[in-house]
Amino acid sequence: MDLFRLFWLYLRVSVMNELQYRVNFFVQVFQSLLALITGLVGLALVFSHTNELGGWSRTELLVVMGVHILMGGVIRTVIQPNMERLMSDVQEGTLDYALTKPADSQILVSVRQFRIWQTIDIVMGLLVLLVAVYQLQLGIGVLQTLSFVVALLLGALMIYSFWLILTTAAFWVVRVEHVLELFQGVYQAGRWPVGIYPAWLQTGLTFLVPVAFAVTVPAEALTGRLTLQTLLGAAALSALLLVLARWIWRTGLRRYSGASA
Amino acid sequence: MSISTTTIHVKDLRKTYVVPERDAGLKAAIRSLVRRTSREVKAVDNISFDVAPGEVVGFLGPNGAGKTTTLKMLSGLLYPTDGAISVLGHVPSRREKNFLRQITLVMGQRNQLQWDIPAIDSFELNRAIYRIPEAEFKRTRDDFIELLDLQGLVNKPVRNLSLGERMKMEIAGALLHRPKVLFLDEPTIGLDVTMQRRIRKFIAEYNHRYSATVLLTSHYMADVEALCRRVIVIHHGQLLFDGELSALARRFAAYKTIEVTLADASADLGVYGEVVEKDAGKVKLRVPKAETSRITARLLADVEVTDLSVEDPPIEDVIETVFAQEAVL
Repeated sequence: MDLFRLFWLYLRVSVMNELQYRVNFFVQVFQSLLALITGLVGLALVFSHTNELGGWSRTELLVVMGVHILMGGVIRTVIQPNMERLMSDVQEGTLDYALTKPADSQILVSVRQFRIWQTIDIVMGLLVLLVAVYQLQLGIGVLQTLSFVVALLLGALMIYSFWLILTTAAFWVVRVEHVLELFQGVYQAGRWPVGIYPAWLQTGLTFLVPVAFAVTVPAEALTGRLTLQTLLGAAALSALLLVLARWIWRTGLRRYSGASA
Repeated sequence: MSISTTTIHVKDLRKTYVVPERDAGLKAAIRSLVRRTSREVKAVDNISFDVAPGEVVGFLGPNGAGKTTTLKMLSGLLYPTDGAISVLGHVPSRREKNFLRQITLVMGQRNQLQWDIPAIDSFELNRAIYRIPEAEFKRTRDDFIELLDLQGLVNKPVRNLSLGERMKMEIAGALLHRPKVLFLDEPTIGLDVTMQRRIRKFIAEYNHRYSATVLLTSHYMADVEALCRRVIVIHHGQLLFDGELSALARRFAAYKTIEVTLADASADLGVYGEVVEKDAGKVKLRVPKAETSRITARLLADVEVTDLSVEDPPIEDVIETVFAQEAVL
C-alpha cells in the first residue's frame, strides 16, 4: 500500500539525512531529560499538597505524563515536521513537485519529513510508562495493552487530522504558523488528565483540539478506567476527523489549482 | 492534426486569476481589511496549439506573459478557466497516476532533491515513487550519470554542489522515470554558458533517444536556437506566433543587417543606415527591412565593395521587437 511504502521510504531518507547531524542527538537527549525533570518536579510539587488530583493518584498521573511525553514525541517526529514542510511548500511554490508525482498527494505530504532525534521522546515516554505501570502493580493484561495501543493510534490519527486541517488553511490564508504555535500551548494542557479542568475547557480539549483523546484516553487504558464507550467514541471521532481532513485537503487543493476560485 | 497524432492538444485555453487589489498606503490597507476589491487578470487568453510526438517546442514570452501558467495547466497543477487540454490523451487536471508517470516538470528556480543527502539517494526515492523497475532504473541512472558527467558528484550531499551541478542533478532526477513529455521552465536559469550548453545537449540527447516531446521556456535564446525548431510566442496571454524559429525572424524583424567589406576602410556609410559595428574594412549596417534592397543597390553603386551580405538580425533583437509591440496582432 502506498501509505506504508512511502512512509518507509521517506523514513529511510530522513534517517540518512539526520545521521549527519549527530550533535542534534545530544541536544535532543538533553532537552528531553530537562523536560522530564521539570515534569517530575511539577508532579512532586502537586503531591506535596494532596494525595490525589481529580481522582488520579500520583502514580496514575505518572502514566498520564508518560503518554504525554510519548505522544509529544510522535507529534514532533512525524506530524509537525510534515505539516511545517507542507506549509513552507505552499508558500514557496515547491508543493507543485509533490503534486506532479504519481502518488496520493495527501499521503505524500504527510510522510515526507521526519525528525528522528525526536524519537528520543518516544523512548523516554515509554520508559516513564514502564516505571509507572510497574509501580501501579496492576498487572497489565493483553487486552489492556491492546486497548492502550489502539487508543494511542486513534489519538495520533486525531492529532494528525486536526493538524492537517489547520495546515490546509494555508491554501486560503498563506500564513498560518501562529495557529500552529497555539497548538503547542494547548498540548501542554494535556500534561494533566482533562478531567481536572472546568467543563468548558474539557469540551474544548476533547472536541476542538483532541488532546483528551490523544493523552488522557490512552492513559485511561493503562489505569483501568477506559470504557468500551470511550474507545468506540474515540474510533468514531477519529474516523470523522480523518474524513473531514481529507475533504478539506481536497477542497484546498482545488483552490490551490484555481478550480474553485 | 487529429488527436491521435498529437501529444499535446490545446484548444481555446483560458486562465483567469482573481487578484486582490488595493491602493498604496496604510489607509488603503486598513480599508482592505473590511472591503476587499479584486480584479480579474487574464493570464492566458484563448490559446490553441498542438504538439506532435517528439517535437521540441520553445515557449517564448516576456515575464508575466503566461508561459508558466500554461505549463502548469499542461502538467495538471492548475485548472483551466476555460478551454480544453489533452496531454497524451489525458486531461491533465485530473492528475491520474498514469498521466503523471509519463510527464515531468522541471522548474529552474525550485529544487526538489533532498538537500542533505547525496543525489543518488534521492534518485532512489524517485525510483520508488515512480515504481521504476530496478534494472531499467539502474540503466537510465548510469546513462544519465555518464551523459551529464555526474561521476563523483552523485555521492556528494546536494548542498555541497555548485548551482550548475545541482541543476544537472535535478534534471537527471526528474527524468529517471523516462517521461514522454517534458515541461521545462527555465531549466538553465542562472547557469554559466558552459553549463547551459551541457544541459542543452543533454535535453537534445534525451529527446533523440526516447522520442520525448519537450516544451521549454527560457530567457536564453541560445537554448531555444539550439533545441527548438518551432517556437510559440505568447504575449499578454495571447498567442502571437506559432511556427518555425526562422520564420519568426522573417515575420517580425523590422530591420535587416547588411554586412559589407569595403575596399576603402575610411568610407563613411552613416548615410545609408545605422552603423552598428565597424571593424577595419568591415561594417555592419542596420536598415529598415522594407528598404533593404534599395539600400543594397545604392551601396553597390556608390561604394567600392569587396563583399556584401544581408542577414536577419539576431533572434534576441527580433524577440525584443516583438515584445516591445504593445498592440497584439
